[in-house]
Amino acid sequence: MPSPRYTPADIERVTLVLGMEIHVELATRTKVFSRAANPANSRAGHGEASPPNTLIDPVVLALPGSLPILNREAVEMSMMVGIALGCTIAERTKWDRKSYFYPDLPKAYQISQYDMPLCFDGAIDIPNCDDRGEPDPMLGFARIGIIRAHLEEDAGKLLHELPASDARGSTRIDHSIVDLNRAGAPLLEIVTQPDFTSADQAVAFARLLRMICRFLGITEGIMQKGHMRFEPNINCIISLKNGRTATTPITEVKNLNSFRSLKGAIEHELREQPRRWLEDSIEFGPGTKTTRGWNDARNETFLQRSKEDAHDYRYFPDPDLPVLEIDDAWRESARASIPELPISRLWRLRKSHGLDAREAIALVEERPVAEFFDQAVSRASDAGVPGDRAGRLVANILLQNGAKRVNERTTEQPTDPSEREEPDDESSTLTVADLGITPAAVGTLAALREKGSISAQSLDILFGLLCDPAHAGADPETLARERNLIIVRDDAAMERWCAQVLADNAPIVDQIKGGKLQAIGRLVGNVMKLSGGTADAAQVRTKLLDMIGVKE
Amino acid sequence: MPADADPSLPGPLTDATVRKVASLARLAIADDHVALYQHQLSDVLKYIERLRTLDLEGVEPLTHAGDTLNRMRDDEVGPMLTNADAIALAPESTGPFIKVPKVIGDGGGA
Repeated sequence: MPSPRYTPADIERVTLVLGMEIHVELATRTKVFSRAANPANSRAGHGEASPPNTLIDPVVLALPGSLPILNREAVEMSMMVGIALGCTIAERTKWDRKSYFYPDLPKAYQISQYDMPLCFDGAIDIPNCDDRGEPDPMLGFARIGIIRAHLEEDAGKLLHELPASDARGSTRIDHSIVDLNRAGAPLLEIVTQPDFTSADQAVAFARLLRMICRFLGITEGIMQKGHMRFEPNINCIISLKNGRTATTPITEVKNLNSFRSLKGAIEHELREQPRRWLEDSIEFGPGTKTTRGWNDARNETFLQRSKEDAHDYRYFPDPDLPVLEIDDAWRESARASIPELPISRLWRLRKSHGLDAREAIALVEERPVAEFFDQAVSRASDAGVPGDRAGRLVANILLQNGAKRVNERTTEQPTDPSEREEPDDESSTLTVADLGITPAAVGTLAALREKGSISAQSLDILFGLLCDPAHAGADPETLARERNLIIVRDDAAMERWCAQVLADNAPIVDQIKGGKLQAIGRLVGNVMKLSGGTADAAQVRTKLLDMIGVKE
Repeated sequence: MPADADPSLPGPLTDATVRKVASLARLAIADDHVALYQHQLSDVLKYIERLRTLDLEGVEPLTHAGDTLNRMRDDEVGPMLTNADAIALAPESTGPFIKVPKVIGDGGGA
């Protein structure tokens, strides 16, 4: 029975129901079932830049007689993600054929996992976001259930126009073309429960998942290259003012490979679904699910296929691949190889070191930076910096002196602008861990500063020197002495320099006494010059004001 | 007890099912062959249905016919074919690519 027609005014509220499927391309050296190189690993000397149809072998091309053999590394990487997401790791798992015909799928079936996934029944607590959208553990957590994470093979690429590099003139073609380099690359499919309550939360989860996967070293995580693809399943519950509720049909948006498009697609569907329902009265039920694509230019989703033409995949166990059994020892060795992960680190940096959410994110986003931070803090503590100060000092050094030099070096080598659309998508970004300065040197600089042995300006100079290969491994304190950057704590000398400067600048002293306090800068400068840069500017200022007899 | 006497078993395959299976397998079948396949495929299913007469109480489902376990390899790149090999095997090609008829829409894969 069709429901009566309603108008927007009848709607009391709309509640989002949202779950996600995420495909992660694993960065193994080879494909999941054969020894052809994997384009999703740029370090193996092949990578996405390989010429079309060269990362292939008889298994990839499905030549007669070829047989798949499972890549152990792909299983281990998948187990690590499963464990990080709180999943149970199957004691016994198997491989199934998912059959469909498509030009990018040479075997006419994809090897996947149907009813016995490698990882299942997990959950992850993600920090709530502050009003700038930064995940902040101090604001509490939301639990996202993980239904399963299974390992499968990727398809090749079907292109409908020539890549610019292969086109002589126009890229338009009247046929389609296939590149099988990606075919057979290992793909981890993660399926969440419909636990998300907003687009922002889904995006925060997506970002954290990317951080976790990159931390584990299981993917390069370059969004533009499709290393992570997000597929939100979206519908909503419409509460009407008359007390009735209506549930809209589920829409699956395929293959989103940027956080911006993920957010856009969810927000678009949340706006459109109530409008569609007002128009067609179609509610959630069998056969109503639709698949939509994302139009980046128009910022909207478009219909790809309705469930009536849904594929019948005829899953069945792959007879070429034996069952896989995972014993306790193997599972525990995977668990043991997992480092402290970003969410736990965020919590620690916020709670123990008193950093704000943005600082904490900046320091845990990349594993080399996170580990650099910890090592530097540990060195600073060993050198006598109190525990509650060490984190703050090291964070300041990395996020100010370090970030300044990272920016300088990044602008020296401009990368392809098309690669730079979303700043946090750059996997090959230079970090403070690449500058050449060691964590120990940063820890020592923090300790020198804490003791008042060097000024802020000297710290920056020393940081720069220690990044220079010519000073690699130098002891910061020795270097500071050689450069006369150690603050002179000689009170008699300080007294002498200040007295001399005051005597030489009687008119300025009078101005200051008359209330023109900013004139002190010139006197401070003169004292610094007399000290050969070894005095601390803040101390000089205090001393001068004291001697003049003026209070701030 | 003969399998076809069990009322819980499915009846013979319908005309529509045969046509659907053929279409999923990309097989063109002539109208006058449908009845033949209907009959033959039903016989195959009926044969397999005999398993239902067994008492399988407490028997673990068999997930794989072989008894090999955990056949795996190390993650080391092996010999690969060249682009020329792939192109030579393709019915049609253009430059380094395999050429196929224009395909619209998505494959529903991965």
